[in-house]
Amino acid sequence: MNVGRERLDPRTRTAVLLAAGACVVPLLLQLPRTLAFGIAVAAVAIAIGTWRRPAAAWVRVSIALALAIAVFATMGVNFGRDTGCAMLAAMLAVKPAETNTMRDARSLVGFALFAPFATFLLDQGPLSLGLGLVAVYLALLAMQRLSDVESGQARNTAPGWKRVAGVGRMLLLGLPLALAAFWLFPRLASPLWGVPDRAIARPGLADSMSPGQWEDMLLDDTPAARLTFFNRTPPPARMYFRGPVFTEFDGRTWSRGAGAFEPSGRVRPVGETFLYEIALEPTDRRQLIALDVPLDAPAQAFLGRDRTLRVDRPLTSVTRWTMRSGNVERFDETLSPGQRQHHLQLPAGLNPRTVALARQWRREAGDDDAAIVQRALGMIRAGFAYTLTVSLAGRDAVDQFLFVDKRGYCEHFSSSFVVLMRAAGIPARVVGGYAGADHNPIGDYWIVRRSDAHAWAEVWLPGRGWVRVDPTAAVAPERVFDTLEDRARAQDTLLGNLAPMYDVGDWMLNGWNDFVLGFNAERQRALLRPIGIESIQPERLLLLFSVLALGGLAATVWLLSRDLRERDPLLRAWHRLGKRYARLGLGRAAHEPAVDWAERVHRARAGGDEALRGLGVRFSRWRYGPAPDAPGPAGDGLNALLRDLDAHRP
Amino acid sequence: MGERLRALRGRIERFARPRGPEALPIELHRGRIYVLPTKFGLFFGTMLAAMGLGALNYNNNPALLLMLLLAGAAQTSLLSAHLQLSGLRFVASGADPVPAGAPILLRLHARSKTRGRARRGLRVDCDDVATVLSLEDGVGDAELALPTHRRGWLDVPRLRVSTTRPLGLVRAWSWIWPEQPLLVYPAPEPAGPPLPDGDGDAALARLHPLGDDVHHLRAYRRGDPPRTIAWKPTARLGNLLVREYERPLSADIVLDWTKLAGLGSEARIARLARWVDEAERDARRYRLIVPGHPPIGPAHGPAHRHACLRALALLP
Repeated sequence: MNVGRERLDPRTRTAVLLAAGACVVPLLLQLPRTLAFGIAVAAVAIAIGTWRRPAAAWVRVSIALALAIAVFATMGVNFGRDTGCAMLAAMLAVKPAETNTMRDARSLVGFALFAPFATFLLDQGPLSLGLGLVAVYLALLAMQRLSDVESGQARNTAPGWKRVAGVGRMLLLGLPLALAAFWLFPRLASPLWGVPDRAIARPGLADSMSPGQWEDMLLDDTPAARLTFFNRTPPPARMYFRGPVFTEFDGRTWSRGAGAFEPSGRVRPVGETFLYEIALEPTDRRQLIALDVPLDAPAQAFLGRDRTLRVDRPLTSVTRWTMRSGNVERFDETLSPGQRQHHLQLPAGLNPRTVALARQWRREAGDDDAAIVQRALGMIRAGFAYTLTVSLAGRDAVDQFLFVDKRGYCEHFSSSFVVLMRAAGIPARVVGGYAGADHNPIGDYWIVRRSDAHAWAEVWLPGRGWVRVDPTAAVAPERVFDTLEDRARAQDTLLGNLAPMYDVGDWMLNGWNDFVLGFNAERQRALLRPIGIESIQPERLLLLFSVLALGGLAATVWLLSRDLRERDPLLRAWHRLGKRYARLGLGRAAHEPAVDWAERVHRARAGGDEALRGLGVRFSRWRYGPAPDAPGPAGDGLNALLRDLDAHRP
Repeated sequence: MGERLRALRGRIERFARPRGPEALPIELHRGRIYVLPTKFGLFFGTMLAAMGLGALNYNNNPALLLMLLLAGAAQTSLLSAHLQLSGLRFVASGADPVPAGAPILLRLHARSKTRGRARRGLRVDCDDVATVLSLEDGVGDAELALPTHRRGWLDVPRLRVSTTRPLGLVRAWSWIWPEQPLLVYPAPEPAGPPLPDGDGDAALARLHPLGDDVHHLRAYRRGDPPRTIAWKPTARLGNLLVREYERPLSADIVLDWTKLAGLGSEARIARLARWVDEAERDARRYRLIVPGHPPIGPAHGPAHRHACLRALALLP
């Protein structure tokens, strides 16, 4: 009965391959399209081609090599998290070629379960989660099928739904344990090893800004962050979410300057401050975004001199931050000469018309920086248009925008405005981030979408410090602060009707993010606070966990051993008595009636053992005599007998 | 290495319950059901551990939930495997005796009070032989072909009832050790002298071509030897007639141990066993005389054969 070596029957093979396929699908969806398509085609071809007989070794090896080369060709040679995932998918695609026996099938199912796991490292959206659940279900079904075959039930006649329901039952029964472990299992506050980066970055707010880079993002309606305000809600016009600050310009690309990592200076908030929690979707970058100007850094984040927040590790999952923001007065009131120089720097010889215009304005305005700013805004307001379709920029991109095209989106407006300011001798910089948010009335929180990505300018004015100026808002304020509802109203009908449903969906997703994705060591500690454990070391938590587990185990053992003992107290007492005599070599034999045994002991012992004889008779009467409610000898109740049995010593 | 491992395994198995043969009925309960992961289970566990470590390290909650969900299902499968055995009662065992050397078919009859619980594909095995026990409506039989080597009582070895269902991750097993031994007849010798002549009354005559007395005439059938044709009656009646002979045979053959002098004890037993079988086949009455036992018979029939072979099997 060596089942491990037998070839699989077609039905089992189908079940196993289906399970493996279901495991790989969510992973493929996270990989680059062409690569995913290639792997899927290879997998299907291999599964069909090796259906009747296994492929030769050289075929398997060459397909595996080809797929590996394809992976590295797509991902590049830097080995990232997604490269590993792609390799896993490729190897799972090849595995059916050598899946012939029970053992192969089991190892295929086992390894395939790594695919949903790997998917979750790349993406934690609802689609991945749903597909992952389907994959787990099918994998367990395949395992059940393999076990059926192993135990000679290959022709199991149970109806299909019953087997499906069986697996569902198993999952449901395991669920409470899984959930308890999920909330109680000690979390690591700091990882043992870092998360490898992705080889192919997602589009998003990067550490640099170059023309055309944002177009994908501006059309992407998926959420970037969700906010809950604790004290008051800012008006929509003040919903600027500060991301990276760009200070260096090479004529084409804006990037963060060297001074970005200096620690923050002092600021003084004026007016109201906003206390809120922001839940950031994973970006795989170290940049945080915060409302307006963050006043202090949350734990584990670093607040730079330019008031941008950064963390040590890339954000690979949903993270939640509690922050305080507000209007500040005299933001970097004094600018060192070096700083000033840095914020005036322009690539030499580029954009001559812009530089000339700025110099002319400077001459006309004299020392009044604010007037120059107003003049520039006025010019933009007067003759510029907002559009997402722009022509490719040439060498003098800013000249082309300001004097030829006169149309573009936030990237062009902010970039050109800052160049204009710098040329006029006003320190200025570009700030990337998001502007505008949608209110979700069901959960009472705000959603910032990736399509809300925005870039604006900050100019440094003497006596006032850095001041936000948004040239795009001068042209198209509705494009800056628009919301889905606005757009729905514009397009009317269908999307408008769907909006409430979308709100409910996002609210549920937010709840899931809140309760499940955002659960970490900190929240776990918060969970323990109500039961009086204020702060606990991870080792202590582990110890507590082990002690509780061992305690539970001991309780179980106690209950089990109790259950196995004799139920009748009289028999228990009688057996105890027998054991005491057994120590003297006078134990009762298994076949010996009570009275006979007592008689034997009585004869065997010098001086006899009258007491035992009496006990034997009483025991027999109780155990085998008439029912206990019949009139018996007075005073010979069960309790008295039990007492006497226990008190008797040979 | 393998030897030491086997010795260790043997020592561990001696700790397992039951530690000696026991009387039927045997009910499997949690005090004697053991559960350990299979090789696949170990692989699966290692995989889950790796997943859990990765998920905790990256603080990736969906991955952790995935791992815990799988672990929960595995844990449930463990209980399920245990419950498939728990409450199973082996109420009867038995086997038809076979000559030594042939496999003896041990039948185990199992019942279960809990009707709703599926108990299918339970493996019953002992060393190299295995069979499957499936209960339908709370009743099921398993037939296990145990090898036999010598005549006499065969002690049923400790049998393992096990299952890896429903997921193949863990094996739950329990030992059963029915004390009722099985009878193994002596192996008859393959060839030897024919049955001895009987010495009782000629109660039975047998047609025999080498006999002396003419029994009767019958019509010729193709293949009859020509010398048996009775020519005179043939000439008288006009069709071919054949003479049939008979030889008087004693019904009671005596199969006597003491008359087989010159043979070893086992050889005598083997010969007597063959003669018992031949006498039974020829439907003749026979009487068996073996030392230390009152004479058996004369009689014939399955009960008599069993009595004789049993006496032979149990000879020292």
